[in-house]
Amino acid sequence: MNEGKKMRVLMAKPGLDGHERGAHVVAHGLRDAGFEVIYTGLRQTTAQIVNTAVQEDVDVVGLSILSGAHLSLSQKVIDGLKNAGAEDVMVIIGGIVPDEDIPSLKKMGVREVFTAGTPVSEIANFITRST
Amino acid sequence: MSDNKKRLKNIEYAEAEWKKNVLDKRVGRFNLSKSPTRFYSPLAVSNFNFLEKVGFPGQYPFTAGNNPFDYWRAYAEDAAKMGYRPDWGAASGVGKYGGFGTAEDYRDYLIRMHSMGRTGGPNMAFDLATQCGYDSDSPYAEGEVGRVGVAIDAFNDFATIYEPYTGDLEIDRVPSNFTINAPAAIIIAMYAVLAEKRGIPLEKLRGTPQNDILKEYIARGTYIYPPKHSLRLFRDICVFCTQHMPKLNINSMGGYHIREAGATRVQDLAFSMSNATAYIQAGIDGGLAVDSFAPKFTFNAFGGSMEIYQEIALQRAARRIYARLLKERFNAENPRSMMIRQPITAHIGCSSTTLQRTLNNLTRAVVGGMAAGMSGGMPGVFPPFDEPLGLGHSQEAVQLQLDATRILIYEAKVADVNDPWAGSYFMESLTDEIEAKSLAEMEKIENMGGAVAAIESGYMQKAISKSAYERQKRIESQEEFVVGVNCFTGENEMDVNVNRVVEATYDPELLKSAEDRQKRKLAELKRQRDGKAVSSTLAALKEHARDENKNLMPDICECVRNNASLQEICDVLRDIFGEFQQARF
Repeated sequence: MNEGKKMRVLMAKPGLDGHERGAHVVAHGLRDAGFEVIYTGLRQTTAQIVNTAVQEDVDVVGLSILSGAHLSLSQKVIDGLKNAGAEDVMVIIGGIVPDEDIPSLKKMGVREVFTAGTPVSEIANFITRST
Repeated sequence: MSDNKKRLKNIEYAEAEWKKNVLDKRVGRFNLSKSPTRFYSPLAVSNFNFLEKVGFPGQYPFTAGNNPFDYWRAYAEDAAKMGYRPDWGAASGVGKYGGFGTAEDYRDYLIRMHSMGRTGGPNMAFDLATQCGYDSDSPYAEGEVGRVGVAIDAFNDFATIYEPYTGDLEIDRVPSNFTINAPAAIIIAMYAVLAEKRGIPLEKLRGTPQNDILKEYIARGTYIYPPKHSLRLFRDICVFCTQHMPKLNINSMGGYHIREAGATRVQDLAFSMSNATAYIQAGIDGGLAVDSFAPKFTFNAFGGSMEIYQEIALQRAARRIYARLLKERFNAENPRSMMIRQPITAHIGCSSTTLQRTLNNLTRAVVGGMAAGMSGGMPGVFPPFDEPLGLGHSQEAVQLQLDATRILIYEAKVADVNDPWAGSYFMESLTDEIEAKSLAEMEKIENMGGAVAAIESGYMQKAISKSAYERQKRIESQEEFVVGVNCFTGENEMDVNVNRVVEATYDPELLKSAEDRQKRKLAELKRQRDGKAVSSTLAALKEHARDENKNLMPDICECVRNNASLQEICDVLRDIFGEFQQARF
């Protein structure tokens, strides 16, 4: 991490799913861990998320997905970032993701998947280590 | 000094002696700053008044339960002899909660269920687009159509679902459940129009719409309009149902969702009671007498933690608070107005389950079943242990869940005594404590202007977000322990796996094609319907929406009759009411 510059993280809820406990908890936790966190709120299209990520010049996009649509939504965000020339933005996922989907997610470029029970400190450490 | 006072004085003296000579010595011997356990003597509830605080089961203030025994308990022995196998997630007479794809897909699924002897009325899950007031051709619906429930764009979809419900299953014979909130008025209107077209009197319709919009702002997120306009729609539904569909339950209010979103026990109870207060007031503001509609209010379920004692006390406190609220504040006279009617009582909540060492969730759910059985409900073991895997419940998990409930009923005989904790120094004092804290929080909300104001300002949302994070911090710092998650995770521990067969409930090919099929159907409907009639009924709705005193249900029924789409109706109301924007935090 660059000295003096806070890492910027965009926490996002793609689609219409309204379960935001996980997104809130991780946003609070990363903020306390020294990150600058922007939370999109509910009902964001993948295009809106990509736009916000580019405009806010974030280092990380965290997608919180509990609707089962993680494969298609993640692909759209990753493609969107690539098309916007922001492929260096790290995409991570939290939520309900079956183990068997994790390899496909990583193959499409998702850096890590954090499922239920993950301490926020682990997510913070992962981001710090990986950038 | 009276005998009782003398008795208490003696106990007080004995307790002080015990502290000095027994407790403190032991605390010192183990080098602790305080005792890790507590003990409750009669001093904890020294002025306990049984009739005022507890009463008999089925009598005010209903602390000991709504009834001396429930329907299921009356026939529990018969059910065992007959091998009766209930559908989980089903209120009495209503089939398993479900729904997917297009109306045709869900209809065919229901026909299949009927052929398997599962003949309850539909217990509908709607897809997120429908829940948020969007048609299947909206950009917001992309990827969501038919996913977490069935897609409903217009009356033709609704009618299709009910095709198998004729004869013995006619809609005046089986009840329906609708898990719908923001567009509840439209779904109820569809039910009414369906009955009308079939020549069935509306007063014979039974069922339960969730219709608990206030908790959507706090917990589940499927809101559309600002809360005060939503409450106006609630008023209109409440008045319409009371006048025309008196057998239909008006709502199913949830503490459950609020808890799952991170609320503490006290927030769960206080927020749902504040919401209930707003709904009751809305009915009264609509010109209704409280006893004409309050008996048709229902609750989903309070609860959602592993702390068994506290969860039992919560149920007792909830019943007492609600009964007193209705009787003392709203002057209800009918005992049915004062009861919390809910399908299940205590439970651990899905958020207590862990992905790590998944089978442990069965043990956890049994604790919830115990809490339910000891707090006036069926000792339902919920959820199935594989809940956090997110793949649907396996047949094995459902079998174990059913059996666990049966073991609690028939072998442990958990449900043979009403309110077994009544009179316990500990439980009565804990019930008082939860009640007092919840009443204080309710008063705080009342002083803010009630539930609507507390939602508009973001107070409730911020409070539970904070509670969720506080809990996470306690887990990460090991102030709270979750087995297999933040403790007992060493290399000597092992995972225990069982075979799991997950029945493919819904055909994945149908799920994939649902969006296209639904969009085609909607386009076809829009081509064929009488466009002028649609425009004029929508215009009438718009006109009347501006007038706060108008009941919008007749207009919404008229829009439904004329094949206006769900989103078209919602859009008209969006124009007048606006859309809710959650405060950022």
